[in-house]
Amino acid sequence: MPDPAVFGALVVGLVQLALTLAVAPLLLGITKRVKARLQYRQGPPLLQPYRDLAKWWAKQPVESDAASPLTGAAPAIVLAAVVVATLLVPIVGARPPLAGWGDLLVVVGLMALARFVFALSALDAGSAFGGMGSSREVAIATLIEPALLLALTGAALAAGSTDLGRIATLGVAAGGAWYTPPLLLAAGAFAIVAVAETGHEPVDNPDTHLELTMIHEAMMLEASGPRLAILMYAAELKLVLVAGLFAAVFLPVGIALDLTPLSLLVAIAAALAKLIGAAVILGVLDASLAKLRILALPGLLATASIVAAVGLATRLWLPA
Amino acid sequence: MLFATVLGGAGVPLLATIGVLLAVSALAALAPRTRLNPRALSLSLAGLACIALVVLGATVIASGSPVAASAGDVLGFAPIDVRYDPLGGLFLVALGVAGLASSLFAVGYTTHDGPGVDRTAAAYPVFLASLALVFGADDAFAFLLAWELMALSSALLVVGRRPSAEVARAGYVYLVLTHLATAALIVAFAILASAAGSTSFGAFGRAAASLSPAVRDIVFVLVLVGFGTKAGAIPLHVWLPRAHPVAPSHVSALMSGVMIKAGIYGIVRFGLEILGPGPEWWGLVVLGIGVASAVLGVLYALMEHDLKRLLAFHSIENIGIILIGVGIALLASADGVTALGALALTAALFHTLNHALFKSLLFLAAGSIQSAVGSRDLNALGGLARAMPVTALAFGIGAAAISGLPPLNGFASEWLTFQGLIGAGGEAGLSLVARSGALLAVAGLGLTAALAVACFVKATGMGFLGLPRSPRAAEARETATSMGVAMAGLAAACIGVGIAAGPVSGVIGGISRGTLGGTSPTAGVFAPVVGIGALYAAGPLAVVVLAVAGVVWFVGVRRRTARRAPTWTCGNVPEAAFEYTATSYAKLIRLYYGPVLRPEREIAVELHPGTPFPRTVHYRGEVRHVIDERLYAPLHRASVAAAQLVRRIQSGSLQAYLAYAVVALVVLLLVAR
Repeated sequence: MPDPAVFGALVVGLVQLALTLAVAPLLLGITKRVKARLQYRQGPPLLQPYRDLAKWWAKQPVESDAASPLTGAAPAIVLAAVVVATLLVPIVGARPPLAGWGDLLVVVGLMALARFVFALSALDAGSAFGGMGSSREVAIATLIEPALLLALTGAALAAGSTDLGRIATLGVAAGGAWYTPPLLLAAGAFAIVAVAETGHEPVDNPDTHLELTMIHEAMMLEASGPRLAILMYAAELKLVLVAGLFAAVFLPVGIALDLTPLSLLVAIAAALAKLIGAAVILGVLDASLAKLRILALPGLLATASIVAAVGLATRLWLPA
Repeated sequence: MLFATVLGGAGVPLLATIGVLLAVSALAALAPRTRLNPRALSLSLAGLACIALVVLGATVIASGSPVAASAGDVLGFAPIDVRYDPLGGLFLVALGVAGLASSLFAVGYTTHDGPGVDRTAAAYPVFLASLALVFGADDAFAFLLAWELMALSSALLVVGRRPSAEVARAGYVYLVLTHLATAALIVAFAILASAAGSTSFGAFGRAAASLSPAVRDIVFVLVLVGFGTKAGAIPLHVWLPRAHPVAPSHVSALMSGVMIKAGIYGIVRFGLEILGPGPEWWGLVVLGIGVASAVLGVLYALMEHDLKRLLAFHSIENIGIILIGVGIALLASADGVTALGALALTAALFHTLNHALFKSLLFLAAGSIQSAVGSRDLNALGGLARAMPVTALAFGIGAAAISGLPPLNGFASEWLTFQGLIGAGGEAGLSLVARSGALLAVAGLGLTAALAVACFVKATGMGFLGLPRSPRAAEARETATSMGVAMAGLAAACIGVGIAAGPVSGVIGGISRGTLGGTSPTAGVFAPVVGIGALYAAGPLAVVVLAVAGVVWFVGVRRRTARRAPTWTCGNVPEAAFEYTATSYAKLIRLYYGPVLRPEREIAVELHPGTPFPRTVHYRGEVRHVIDERLYAPLHRASVAAAQLVRRIQSGSLQAYLAYAVVALVVLLLVAR
């Protein structure tokens, strides 16, 4: 009989792994469905993203004759970085599956790794579209990252640690007292950043194939077959990652502190509810907002940075 | 044998060996070209000396006890004393590793400057020796001697033997600024020496405590100006992007990788150890300089399409990141928060070591490209990954490391720097201003990291991916084996140090605590111990990422062979002109950060006579450097104007000069009465 604590942590970790991997395409289905219904369209079936992945998986890939081995390696590295980052975030249990292996800075670092490799591989085919998407992605990321780090710093200061497991644990234990004004400001900033990071309106349109407006789609225009499936799946999983990160830090309610079957069931239900909620909100945003001009994005994302900075200032200068 | 003598407690024979090796190496470089190939001999001896430097540095760090030696009073007025403590030992290790790779690289790296013996090559071993001496000098005279030797030998290497006008000008700017810096140091040392009654650094440390706060502040500012210039910190950086790119690549690697760290060494040695702890504003100033250098350095790097100038601006960025750590360490030691100080100093020193590794690697790879293609203009490269796989992979690893991506070494030290900043923000022992400054720096460092990713996607993508943009790039072949081995070694070091970040930061943590005054480690606010282990497990994480990527690649990519076809270009035949260039890639960033970068562009269209159809279109774009224009241009104009004024009393007549001397003497006597 193994040590119950280790066994329990293993079970929670596996539950989170299975849940996040399985639910990722569904979230995209929900977003598309919500968007379609708000536009008085029928929309694709909820399970369409799974069928798309299966379809691409079965096809033979075509790659550019200018491509280097990076074109093949990049999808694998991008997906691996996102998968491992997801395993560092406490989504179901307060101890994330890879507890102690990385804090919130490591999650941000792994997201940067995925972006670096993806943006680089977009240049491999020598296509103008790849360069377009890649240069936009890295430029917008420079607006995202300061706001993202400031928002997360707010949470780290609230918990006295950058350890996500510790932040979630304290957050759940504090109950309503967790949601102080500085934390809510940080949450607001993170929400803006999350929309930009996952590539939804008003920053990017995930459905567009009009070359002048594409960002994420332009970067994988040259990908096909299983590679396209891998990149698409990585994008879907990234939504789980970002929404899970938001939930763990700014809405930790429901995360399991102990390992009883009941609290585990509650935690799974809470995690599902939060993820689906995020997908619905993104669908509403996609349907109701127009895409901002790319030159107007600094305004939007600087707002996020300023909101996060105000949150930090309130924490420091206005003692509760 | 070497190990035995060192471990026996005497590093002195090792020091002597290093001295002899480098002296013979310098002599060999002067020898006429025979079948022996004196150039290779000189470089091999330099490489051996670098191995000895690593051994010496590692021994000092491992044993924790300094190695001291004295060459006696050879100058006739001051002793040449050296004393390598663990702090100096760390810089020696960085020097040795970067120097070994650079020497090895240089064997295969040919500088196309005509027949005959290039005697300036003799400056290379002298440069190595002077760097080694800077990190161990224990006396102001010995230090200044090494410092000056370092400046002169590197300047000689920058200009080479047949400099073009541009190169000569770069060398001139470098010499002028480095001497202004030395002047500031001489004044600082003079103040300390008169208080201490001795020129030894040990006496400086004991005397510093007795200085009045105002004098101590003055000394600190002088030290900061002197060492900050050498480090290339903004606004004292102007020499760096001029001098580094024009030097031969193995020299650029050492200048960017190690020499500018001599400035960091000086700031740490003097600001923290000899003068410190000082008031809080010292830390705030250094923190501010750090953030400004980091953000502006990487923004200007993004605007470059000359690969080596781009890398030179990244050196400014990384010096900024290091100074952020040093600034927090100064703040923490000002307020007596020793655990935080040790954490931040560890971050700074770790990043110093890491930058020595990946920046040397990137400069060597740039040299490899230059010798294969004959150009370092990113807009003339492209598609080199297939022809030059070793260089491409090495550059890619260096690019990922400098961009601060896990699990490479750059991420580990940036992670520690972030921990220092967030820790300072949450530290109740610091003033609110200091805490706010640290939290603002979080945004600055985050911005820097994201901009660095953008810049290195650009550099790597434009250099190695896509279609070749020039005929020479299309014909490029992989360069000499020795160059490949040197790059591969440094790339392996970036990976190895990244994965062993826990133990390495533990060792550096010990050095930091020793430098800050040997307090026992107490639990910090954010990192339970000074080190990484508790919150970032680099090794296991790297294994998991690689394992997942490997599985995905195996089932998703390798299983299905791809059909190869031309890139879709809307029905046209693909050609390089369709691709994004380095300039267009950075356009969005140029516009986003326009208020800082102030880009200018000019488009001149010439029409076919009598038609509305363009015949030629000329595009010219430029980014104005604020500091060059707003600070140095007025200074330059003012100094020229002052020189014009002084010229009025320059009659050229001997009698007039004698009269000036008499007047000056009388005035001095009256003043000093």
